[in-house]
Amino acid sequence: MRGRTTRPTEEAHVDLTPMLDVVFILLIFFIVTSTFIQEEALGAEPPPPPSDSPPPPNPAIIVYIDESDQIRVNRRLTDISAVRGGMERARAENPESALIIQAHPQARTGTIIEVRDIAYDAQMERVNIIRSAG
Amino acid sequence: MARKSREAAGSAEDDVNLTPMLDVVFILLIFFIVTAQFIREPGVEIDRLEVNNKERQSPLGILVAIDSNSEIYMNKQVVSLSEVGFRIRELREDNPKGRLVVQADAEAQAGVLIDLMEIVNEIDGLGRVPLSVVNE
Repeated sequence: MRGRTTRPTEEAHVDLTPMLDVVFILLIFFIVTSTFIQEEALGAEPPPPPSDSPPPPNPAIIVYIDESDQIRVNRRLTDISAVRGGMERARAENPESALIIQAHPQARTGTIIEVRDIAYDAQMERVNIIRSAG
Repeated sequence: MARKSREAAGSAEDDVNLTPMLDVVFILLIFFIVTAQFIREPGVEIDRLEVNNKERQSPLGILVAIDSNSEIYMNKQVVSLSEVGFRIRELREDNPKGRLVVQADAEAQAGVLIDLMEIVNEIDGLGRVPLSVVNE
């Protein structure tokens, strides 16, 4: 008990400065390295895995994008602004049909994304993006 | 003499209580440690499209970019199509929960994107691959 009473004044003066320095450096490091990246994205379906099962019996709506970015909805050449109308017309004929976006490997990525966006707008179900041969 | 008088006057000021400040600093530090996510950015500028049906991706984890020359970039390096799967698995170890987002340039070739989507689907099991679009 007696030993305790003499000491406290010295222990109360623990020097916090070095620790504070370290903590500040750590803090600054984490502030500087923290990057708040935000991404907004559109979901696009990859091609289905190859399988031996027969293709679905329902006729599918095929949107074909060729190498010069011309769009054909069920083989009819269509402007990008008319794709939605074409899709909806084809769906009205066959309400159960799936949508296949078929792109030539040399087509623009941007066109696929636009067509997929239009398909979302038209609330198409069962969409797939595949590549055409050649 | 001068030093002695300064010490005498200073002893009261030396006892400024640092504890509350230290508390605040520690809380800030812990916040930044916890929120820090080390995302390896692909490091290429890409041209994004504006679309109507987009979704915020969070938490973000892995970024794969395709630039306008149809080359695939991950972690600031060009990656070949056969290597992408391996690289994704590698980054998955650092970040098991973050979403994978593909940053595809609008001018890139569709064939590369479709091949990449197939690989991502195979490895990450995503039925829908998120493609980066313009952030509002």
